Amino acid sequence: MLEVTLDKSKLQELLKLLGTDRRLVAPVVDKLGTVFSEITDPSLVCLEAVNTNLSPKETVFPQWETLYTFEGNQIDKAELQIEETVLFGVRPCDARAFELLDRVFTWDGVNDPYYLKRREKTLVVALACNAPGEACFCTSVGGSPASESGADVLGFDLGDCLLLRALTDRGKTLLNSVSSLTTAATEEEKKAAQNAASEAEKLLKPVAVPEDLAALKESFDAEMWKELGLKCLGCGVCAYACPTCHCFDITDEARKGAGRRVRSWDTCAFSLFTLHGSGHNPRTTQDERYRQRVLHKFLYCRENFGEAFCVGCGRCVASCPAGLDLRAVLERLASTAKVT
Amino acid sequence: MTEKKGEKTSGNGWEPRIVAFLCNWCSYAGADLAGVSRIQYPPNVRVIRVPCSGRINPLFVVKALQTGADGVLVSGCHPGDCHYISGNLYARRKFALLKSLLEYVGIEPERVQFSWVSAAEGVRFAEILGKVIEAVRAVGPASKMVKELEEVT
Amino acid sequence: MSQVEEALKKEVAKLFEEETIDLFVGHEPAGVPLKTSACFLSSADEAKRLVWNASCATNLAAYLPQLFKRPGGVKGEWIAPRVGVVAKGCDSRSIVGLIKEKQIPRDRLFVIGVGCEGMIDRHKAAGALGTMGLAEAKIDGSSLQVIGTDGTQKRVELAEVLADSCRECQHRSAVLFDVALSETSVQAPETSRYADVAEFESKSLDERWEFLVSEFSRCIRCYACREACPNCYCQECFADETAPKWLGVTTDLPDVFVFHLGRALHQAGRCVDCGACVAACPQGIDLRLLNQKINKDVEELFGVQSSLSLEEAEALLSFRMEDDQSFMTEP
Repeated sequence: MLEVTLDKSKLQELLKLLGTDRRLVAPVVDKLGTVFSEITDPSLVCLEAVNTNLSPKETVFPQWETLYTFEGNQIDKAELQIEETVLFGVRPCDARAFELLDRVFTWDGVNDPYYLKRREKTLVVALACNAPGEACFCTSVGGSPASESGADVLGFDLGDCLLLRALTDRGKTLLNSVSSLTTAATEEEKKAAQNAASEAEKLLKPVAVPEDLAALKESFDAEMWKELGLKCLGCGVCAYACPTCHCFDITDEARKGAGRRVRSWDTCAFSLFTLHGSGHNPRTTQDERYRQRVLHKFLYCRENFGEAFCVGCGRCVASCPAGLDLRAVLERLASTAKVT
Repeated sequence: MTEKKGEKTSGNGWEPRIVAFLCNWCSYAGADLAGVSRIQYPPNVRVIRVPCSGRINPLFVVKALQTGADGVLVSGCHPGDCHYISGNLYARRKFALLKSLLEYVGIEPERVQFSWVSAAEGVRFAEILGKVIEAVRAVGPASKMVKELEEVT
Repeated sequence: MSQVEEALKKEVAKLFEEETIDLFVGHEPAGVPLKTSACFLSSADEAKRLVWNASCATNLAAYLPQLFKRPGGVKGEWIAPRVGVVAKGCDSRSIVGLIKEKQIPRDRLFVIGVGCEGMIDRHKAAGALGTMGLAEAKIDGSSLQVIGTDGTQKRVELAEVLADSCRECQHRSAVLFDVALSETSVQAPETSRYADVAEFESKSLDERWEFLVSEFSRCIRCYACREACPNCYCQECFADETAPKWLGVTTDLPDVFVFHLGRALHQAGRCVDCGACVAACPQGIDLRLLNQKINKDVEELFGVQSSLSLEEAEALLSFRMEDDQSFMTEP
């Protein structure tokens, strides 16, 4: 396994090299915390925050994109031009989310070309966490502060240097391309990286996540959803900030018979999400919709993909304007075999 | 697309496109009178007839700007003369807020203008329209709020 | 626990014991510091869940319309529980607005009025720690101690981290209430009202546009502002209408502007500057720049502030023959 060390004083140079002939996307300071942004000036990169305000899923699944343009009956499916991109400074939870999204966008052999093209062109350089963020609980949902899932390279912040570990062939190629700046990692440094990871894990507060699928199914009729539905405002913050949420809407924008078909983020929390063309809406109350969000992530996705669609990043908890706490909901679901 | 982006620059043969929302009973009749009297005025206007200036949803004006109108004129009956008694009086308050907000966000004030024109004021209607068109010509083609559909992410 | 919090719990327990109410809407602590969540209590025992402090920023009025149904429409009977709610100044103004707009029945509501000295903007509080997350926060007299996820501690003056809407607030006590637990006589100085708007207005036309473009380019169309706002109770929002389709659903800037301009205009004469929209926005967009501009115009042009009394007609539902028309090119 290729592991190299980069002295932090050379970080700017590394970023410049990574950004040569490629698009570099990394966290920068924004009005609220940090945000992943395309950068040309590496000095703007800020890796201090545990995580960014919104997840990096925008890189492979943007808030909106044009599927094709049309004029009358002529459809123009222009070849999607995606630049080679390095996504730098992704936390392991968000990297793991990419692996989960991969499953959705290739489900049942139906391959989403828009997502896959972007994913294929994006090299993920993850950065392990030394401490948890505001509401992190990655270890409770099968992740860890040093998880290797979904990334090409995993970095460890060892104080005055970064240890970089290649996880895939692409990652190896990437590290080889910057070998002028790095040195082979020493045994000490490798141990330090391992320690940092296990220390970080200890700092996490565990959350009881329901594993019993049968009990989760029964919770469908539980009373608890009523108050949660009253609290939930039905906005899109949790789903939009979430690295694994992937629902989208398709709409047309046209003028005089010419225009474009676009796909944009959608969320099951919106009241119109399940509105049928007939006017019927199977989920008319917010408690049904909130229940759907939670059960989709922890029951239906387990049934469909074998894993819960939550990486424990905590963004939904930190950003929810209604003060809902998914961790508390999960604990409640997990606590009793027969949930009320 | 019927209009390519490059065409819409001042001095490239660009002509202002004004959308005029005219109330049926006064301003539209006034515009009609201008036509019947063969009063010449520039052809840069698209008229949209509404029953009353009170029918104007401020979103009509915002939407017109979004779809590429270079300017919008909204015109109704003089206060006190509204066919529906007070429609224009309610509208006046909405228009005041809309005008102020649009200039506040940075839309050139020349682009959205309001008037009271009665059914007898054919000459005046043509004059007002002429002034609006020239004012919009001076500030150039609209671009700030315009939604371009050629754009692909 | 403050005196007001104690008094609130006692009052709510009493309301249930005396069977004055069926349901009480209040604040309870959320899972992260400086945030509360609306709670829906149905018995005296549950009163202990309530809190009252400087993190109770949520405008509870937003949660009220969903509790009432009126199957026969405006002329029909309410199928409604008797609902109690705790309200600070802005909340109570929103309640006044909702009653006037026939979204909630006055006679099924029991309002516990409280005075408010300002709510903390948790983004500002967290901002004191730079980009580090907020792990803990403690109010200590007139200052706030914040502790980051990395253990760093900082102390800030409460006045520095108050929400923008609270800094200029003129209505700190409930304007409508059935029982008042406290008043507050802390008044914002006259000169500071609409200061943010005035400052913005001093920029040039293009500077204003550029600033708003950079501010609103962060919008992700999550509609948190709309959902948190008590005045946004439409069954079908103009932004979701497909016939006509007023705007697209994406973050394409013209669509973002149509949404925010449209929403601000729909708030004209109704917005009480509670700050719920700003607090809800996950991107920290200064929505008050638009709403307060309209509030300022409404006050200067029509001489009214939104929702101060049940008797006063809303600004856009009334007119005077002498209303200003200086904005017109050809009046």
